[in-house]
Amino acid sequence: MSRRLALALALPLAFVQPAAAAVKASDVIARAVDGFVRPAYAGLRDHAVAMAGAMKSLCEAPSQEHLDAARERFSGLVEAWSTAEIIRFGPITENNRLERMLFWPDRKSIGLRQVQAALAAKDGTAADPAGVATKSVAMQGLGALEFVLYGNGADTLAAADDPYRCAYGRAIAGNVEQISAEVAQAWDKPDGFAATWETPGPDNAVYRDGNEAVTELVGVFIEGLDLIRDVRVKGFLGREPGADKPRLAIYWRSDNTARSLAANLAGMDALFQVSKLGEALPEEDRWIAESIHIQLVNGGDTARQVAGPIDAALADPARRALLEHFSLITSSLSNLFGTRLTAAFGLTAGFSSLDGD
Amino acid sequence: MGRTPLIDRRDFLKAAGAGFAAAMAPTAWAAALEADAVFATAYVRHGGGYGAAVLSEEGKLLYAVDLPNRGHDVTFDPVSRRAVVFPRKPGTVAVAFDHTRRERPATFACPSGRHFYGHGVFSPDGALLYATENDFDNAAGMVGVYDAGGGFRRIGEFSTHGVGPHELLLAGDGRTLAIANGGIETHPDFGKAKLNLSTMRPSYVLIDRLSGDLIEKHELPPELHKLSIRHMDVDRAGAVWFSCQYEGATTDRPPLVGRAARGSELELLDMPEKVLNRLRNYIGAMAANREAGTMAVSSPAGNSYVVFDTASGGVVSATDLAEVCGIAPDRAGFMATSGAGAITRPGAASVSAPDYVWDNHLLRIGGPA
Repeated sequence: MSRRLALALALPLAFVQPAAAAVKASDVIARAVDGFVRPAYAGLRDHAVAMAGAMKSLCEAPSQEHLDAARERFSGLVEAWSTAEIIRFGPITENNRLERMLFWPDRKSIGLRQVQAALAAKDGTAADPAGVATKSVAMQGLGALEFVLYGNGADTLAAADDPYRCAYGRAIAGNVEQISAEVAQAWDKPDGFAATWETPGPDNAVYRDGNEAVTELVGVFIEGLDLIRDVRVKGFLGREPGADKPRLAIYWRSDNTARSLAANLAGMDALFQVSKLGEALPEEDRWIAESIHIQLVNGGDTARQVAGPIDAALADPARRALLEHFSLITSSLSNLFGTRLTAAFGLTAGFSSLDGD
Repeated sequence: MGRTPLIDRRDFLKAAGAGFAAAMAPTAWAAALEADAVFATAYVRHGGGYGAAVLSEEGKLLYAVDLPNRGHDVTFDPVSRRAVVFPRKPGTVAVAFDHTRRERPATFACPSGRHFYGHGVFSPDGALLYATENDFDNAAGMVGVYDAGGGFRRIGEFSTHGVGPHELLLAGDGRTLAIANGGIETHPDFGKAKLNLSTMRPSYVLIDRLSGDLIEKHELPPELHKLSIRHMDVDRAGAVWFSCQYEGATTDRPPLVGRAARGSELELLDMPEKVLNRLRNYIGAMAANREAGTMAVSSPAGNSYVVFDTASGGVVSATDLAEVCGIAPDRAGFMATSGAGAITRPGAASVSAPDYVWDNHLLRIGGPA
């Protein structure tokens, strides 16, 4: 079975679905772009615009109400980014955009110290979006904005006593809006990167055949699941409770850790569904696609049950068990994508290369 | 191949030559192993498990050893005839083995606070083994020094003067180590996450292996600071060639192959755009065929390998092979292995071992090239 598909995949752009119409690689990619990538980045841009608007209101009229609104916008922005960030190739890789949007992990707290230093010195060169865009990547994105909104001293934003802090936060929000708009625009261009991905062929500069284009798509899941489990979750969830490190959890300050993890899987589920990648599987392998969908939904639901501050969740055996279960689900998904799906398609899916070594 | 016993002696003997094969005694078998070229590589079994193998020129599995974790590169000491397979990062256990079976495999570990990067090299007399390592809490590249005659006890270390060292090799003088500092910071607490892409600064360094002193350090121009220098080999004329993996934009097409000469700036090779596109900004391995005057680079991401003429720097050939990575000189060309289990070599049908994912590197051991 896998050999038959491998042969079919080697044909220009086509992989064949036995006993049904042929599934073309370019169609799968076009559905991924139109049904997931473009809407995800459009959603990110819209949330970034809303975030910038909330910061404007907060800075112009500081109040607890406006601070609460800005914080709520921040959580929405985190969710939108966590959906879109599973795409780690194409326009987001230009001009350090990926790192500028989110510099994480900040293992040695270099970024944190830079943000704190800017706040302490009231660094005027970081108080507008264009200025922030020239700073270290750690000072430009969601991590820095989270510290502004939730870190030590953030409550002063509700009063008029720290205009600099608000101005810096507003500048970061403007910068995030700018980056999001650039990426959305780059994907929307008819002759841009989307066209490159959708039309593999011998003259294509990146994807020389349909296999390579589909491998890029499958790589989103394989690499993304690795990132979620080995970097995001393993970074704070210890082998036993004593080894937990809640302050290494992404977005711990804003209580968005679990929301982000859930959105990562929700993004994958959306991408998997709209691309109809599973429909390229032969009938006897359709269970793989069904299992993937069930597990992605299951994983998202599991993460969403871990509400509230991550340190409290880790201290609560029931919610900590949910995090362990979430991690197990991602392992199961890695197997479904990395072993089962790729074997059924006759793809090796970058066993060496995706590891980066 | 996959489900039969690992060592198919009958097949090996058949391949080694007709007449005498049937009567060949184990000692003669060992002698054949000595005379013919063999190839070492780490692998992953689809059914589960990691190992390192020694393959015949015909792609037969002559020897296999289990590994506790996924392996990466193999290095060989012609004096003791032992090989060492290093784990892929962030592994901490290496395995020394003798594919002629005179000794049992032995494992040794790097100390706490370090992990291996997957590459190492013996001193010319086989007494010492040098391995690239990560002092991960300080994000500092190190070379660990091991006493090869003393159970691979670790006897020292020195700095690589860079972050994320990957391959290292010994220059022709037997004393100078050339090291590719890939520039990428990782930490085992955060898996494979690359922690410093926006500020990475790869470098190529020469270090006196006896004193640990830095002799030369070269960096790429600032606009290429995301070009991670990772693998190297020496061409027929003694020049070190290096190859890179690019961490920048998907659609950028930076040069990926270069040459390093003592006392000179690094030189990057131009290649035709179509050839460069095949390499997908990612070269996974490189190997020289010094007799043929060629150098090969492989790209598992681009599903092809490219061979250069080392005198002119021109492209000799570009070959499609899905998920190719392991590459080693063989006759007038190269043997190549892939993540899909393929073993290809010049002028012969390719062998498929679909149960095996051949890992990144393939090392030629012995035999006339």
